[in-house]
Amino acid sequence: MIIAFGFLAGMVLVSAFGVVVSRNVVHSALFMSGSFLGVAGFFVMLNAPALAAFQVLIYVGAVTVVILFGIMFTQKPQVRRFATIINRQFWAGLVVAVGIGAFVAVIVSVEDWGATKSGAGSTSVKALGRNLLGVGDAPPVFALLFEVASVLLLVAVVASIVISRRKVGAGEDSQVANEVER
Amino acid sequence: MPTQVQQTADLLNSEIPLEMYLVVGAIMFAIGAWGALIRRNAVVVFMCVELMINAVNLSLVAFSDYLPRANGEATSYAILVIAIAAAELAVGLAIVLAVFRSRRTVNVDEINTMRG
Repeated sequence: MIIAFGFLAGMVLVSAFGVVVSRNVVHSALFMSGSFLGVAGFFVMLNAPALAAFQVLIYVGAVTVVILFGIMFTQKPQVRRFATIINRQFWAGLVVAVGIGAFVAVIVSVEDWGATKSGAGSTSVKALGRNLLGVGDAPPVFALLFEVASVLLLVAVVASIVISRRKVGAGEDSQVANEVER
Repeated sequence: MPTQVQQTADLLNSEIPLEMYLVVGAIMFAIGAWGALIRRNAVVVFMCVELMINAVNLSLVAFSDYLPRANGEATSYAILVIAIAAAELAVGLAIVLAVFRSRRTVNVDEINTMRG
């Protein structure tokens, strides 16, 4: 357990650090998927294998691909110097982040969580599905949350199409196209 | 020494305390916050926001597994969090694409039209 935990913690934290400091944006995206894979491993250790599968499918698969598409559409060739990828708040941001991390870590360490033991919750996929739909013993609010999440996803898909759609005669693309035509 | 071997094996097989998961989540959240504060590229800022969401999700699932009365419900909440994060990422990247199309940059320092 300790070996697996140490390996996964190192993978998650080193990859998360790599996202922040790597100069190439594509490397950042790949580091991010490595970090998500580590979190999926943590979910397996925490007796939530179905959630680990969702994590791999959605984050390591879909989100990384979407981010790579975003990089493909928006990026210029990579920068060579580290100073050009960060803004002037490097040390202030580091102080704030270390402050947040140390504060939260100390709080969760000194808090008395009572008698905690791994494997307290139900681990079956059947129970997860019933819980997500709010049937059976599950709190009925999950039925509402499920519907709200589905409407939210629909709205997000429609909104992203509307926002990123190429409007006729707007933006620089049409100017570029006009110049090309001339 | 068999007893020492036994002790080492017990140590390696011993259960991870809840606090260690929470500390890893806190450090991951801090790294994500640091990146969101200092990076110039808007796409990388989104990646760091995703890191923070994942850190919180990790803490949520750790609570769900360790606290006796959580009853595994936090796993369902974690799925809802993943759905909301995916929606946020879709809309956010669409906005980044729209901004890039009109300004030819995704540097968050240069997008200051609405600065007062």
